[in-house]
Amino acid sequence: MATAKRYRLSKLERDERRLGYALLAPAALLLLAVVVYPIAELLANSFYSFRLTRPGYRFIGLENYAFALFEDDRFLHSVLNTVIFIVVTVPGALFVGLGLALLANQPFRVKWPVRLGLLLPWALPLVFAGLIFRWFFDFRQGFVNWLIELAGFDPPQWLSDPQLAFAAVCVAIVWKSSSFMALILLAGLQTIPKSLYEAAEVDGASRFQQFVEITLPMLKPAIVVALIFRTITAIQTFDIPYAMTNGGPGTATETMAMYIHKTTIDFLDLGYGSALATLMFLISIVATSVYLRHTKRDTGRG
Amino acid sequence: MLAKLGKRKTVWLAAAIVAANGFFPALWILFTSLKTEAELLRHPITIVPHDPTLLNYVRVFVDQPILLFLWNSLVVAGLSTVLCIFVSALAAYAIVRLRIPGRNIVLSVLLAVSMFPLISLMVPLFQTMRTLGWLNTYPALVFPYAVLSMPVCTLVMASFFQDIPNDLENAAMIDGCTRLGALWHVVVPLAAPGVFTAAILAFVNAWDEFLLALTLSSRVTSRTLPVGITLYQGEFAFPWPIMSAALIVAIVPVCLLIAVFQERVVSGLTAGGVKG
Repeated sequence: MATAKRYRLSKLERDERRLGYALLAPAALLLLAVVVYPIAELLANSFYSFRLTRPGYRFIGLENYAFALFEDDRFLHSVLNTVIFIVVTVPGALFVGLGLALLANQPFRVKWPVRLGLLLPWALPLVFAGLIFRWFFDFRQGFVNWLIELAGFDPPQWLSDPQLAFAAVCVAIVWKSSSFMALILLAGLQTIPKSLYEAAEVDGASRFQQFVEITLPMLKPAIVVALIFRTITAIQTFDIPYAMTNGGPGTATETMAMYIHKTTIDFLDLGYGSALATLMFLISIVATSVYLRHTKRDTGRG
Repeated sequence: MLAKLGKRKTVWLAAAIVAANGFFPALWILFTSLKTEAELLRHPITIVPHDPTLLNYVRVFVDQPILLFLWNSLVVAGLSTVLCIFVSALAAYAIVRLRIPGRNIVLSVLLAVSMFPLISLMVPLFQTMRTLGWLNTYPALVFPYAVLSMPVCTLVMASFFQDIPNDLENAAMIDGCTRLGALWHVVVPLAAPGVFTAAILAFVNAWDEFLLALTLSSRVTSRTLPVGITLYQGEFAFPWPIMSAALIVAIVPVCLLIAVFQERVVSGLTAGGVKG
């Protein structure tokens, strides 16, 4: 069957195919070198005892994984921290982002201040956002404590208290990620036909009713995409806590990614670091497949 | 309450809130960078610098290797953008115009790569670059950065290529152009806005990246701006006046870029974001 079909392709079609594969080849080569090969190496190393601090490369089967999942409290703690960061900052960024999108979706005569106001946080490197918020939450010279003192309260030591440090990092993450969320949601808002609102107004619906009955349902696809996208990046949270607290005080704000980085680069334990990174890879695959299934269903419908 | 304010004023207020939320941290750092050390230590703090000084900028450029960091960032972001755009443009064209089987698989692979946890790549890349002797060199960052932006750039350019009428290419081919000739002479000039949009996204991604730069290129002479500035803190007792001046120096190029091309950036981000 397949050969019969191949014979029916004209010379032009065959040429086009060949050219198509040739054009895809550079991208495929880069992917092989920078993604596929490293992942294969990662999987292989995760079954070995492999430290740069001492000689030897010894197969130990699943020992690295067993240690990570059943004995390494610091790893489990970093997983828990990451989960709490996701649970707090993903919905947080959605609410703030939705608020910003609704505010930005107005008939402005001058458009650039609002547009740039949404773009700036996106363009700012994550570590820089971390550094700036570290300065905001500084005990003596910080902007936040200045406000608190103005209001007549005692300023807290934000970054040296485990819970307060965690909260401060959450604020920074929400600020940094909400504007990208707002851009996506704003694009969604602008596709909602105005006639829907005009019809609702004729029927006497209040602004709140219009929001619940028209805006939210029409915006749902954009919200779902933004949420999944944000969750997948939140799993990898690294830069902001690194710059703000370096995981501290103690390990109060240490995320999975930070612990993996420490294990590999500071402790030079490549075998164990590979096992931890593989676990993270698996978690991301699950999240990504949920995303892919969702987008596929979406395009299928459209 | 909002209704009483009147339509014009609510619109103005909405704009002010969004702009303030975005601009405030950068503005705060700008003010900080213009304060003298004495003013920075004052308590309660001041908002607007009382007697603005450029001393912090002088110290950043004279005492710190910020020009080197700036150069490293420019080279790494520039080269990776060129590589990424070249590779992605070819791939996007193949996806849009040439009837290749497995198109959807290619798209799925691209989406999967764009979701990939960097930290999982970081461990084996560190080992590979170490073996190759590439740690602390430009290629160690250029190749990974090109791949990181490949998915979004391919999708953005594919959506632009799609809008170019097929007839133009066919006409060129009838006139004796080859496929590649038509791509180069007809499609690329028409798709220039799309290519440019993708290039901005790739450049900003590379300019901002921290984790790989920290891991693969942490020697002082090869640091990019994010790594160079963040690691100031480890070596000196948090030098805020210098830090804030350095942050402004690092932020300004990208701010100018996105300020000039803001509409492009938004269209690229939402195309890439909504589709992938």
